[in-house]
Amino acid sequence: MTPGDDEARIRAALAEAHREDRTPAFDSVWTAAEGGRPVRRPARRWIALSAGLAAAAAVAVWMVTRPPPATGWHPTGTRWVGPTDFLLQTPDLVTLRTLPPLDPAADPLANPPPARRGLP
Amino acid sequence: MAPRDLEQQIAALHPASFAWALACTRWNSTEAEEVLQSVYLSILEGRSRFDGRSTFKTWLFSVVRNMAARARRRHWLTSRVPWRLGGAEPDPDPLDALASRQRGDRIRRALGQLPARQREVLDLVFFHEMSVEDAASVMGVGLGTARTHYHRGKLRLLELLGSEDLR
Repeated sequence: MTPGDDEARIRAALAEAHREDRTPAFDSVWTAAEGGRPVRRPARRWIALSAGLAAAAAVAVWMVTRPPPATGWHPTGTRWVGPTDFLLQTPDLVTLRTLPPLDPAADPLANPPPARRGLP
Repeated sequence: MAPRDLEQQIAALHPASFAWALACTRWNSTEAEEVLQSVYLSILEGRSRFDGRSTFKTWLFSVVRNMAARARRRHWLTSRVPWRLGGAEPDPDPLDALASRQRGDRIRRALGQLPARQREVLDLVFFHEMSVEDAASVMGVGLGTARTHYHRGKLRLLELLGSEDLR
């Protein structure tokens, strides 16, 4: 099939698509336009849409500007305890919680050793 | 241009303008008439003015196309509003409404499957006998872009039409 054939087919297709066009009378369309009364969507819908958008904007502003929740309050259930935590409760835990007492005499920081002589 | 001359020129192009409006609205005749009425109102009110930089037909078609695009955006928006207030008329798919009718329906359905710009350039060139340059001007795109849509549209439409004999 040649490009000319293809174009003829498309031309025929477009003619066929437009064959049933029912063109309204020019005068009726022109007169309606002159009267300034084109078929338009009811304004009520736009008013409702605007009101909805304004309400959504107000809610968004309120959510952004509202004061933060009072501190000191914690939601319940936020402290999670693992089911195996009891394994950490060993008898040695008591001894590990306090530091063992040290002999002050043996503290090298409290009693530094005397400086050695003869050395640079 | 004198108002009387303007009206005469518009009247002479009225059938072609309506056909073009149909192509821009996917053959929704109610919407096409609305679009045309809005176009005429826009011209009468001086919001659309012919500046002589193109032919009158090219200019008028570009106004029709812009108005159809605006109507399409408006319909797109209102069809997504979750509530419908009084007076909302049913907005059936024009292609579905025409279903099961002859060959013209199948062709319109095939055309409806094309992207808008491909459909528009084919309609302007093959039905309205415009050059691709003028079609580009009507569509508000560059010549190269219009040529691309033209070639892709031809291939796609031929593919969609299949072996149907149209002559």
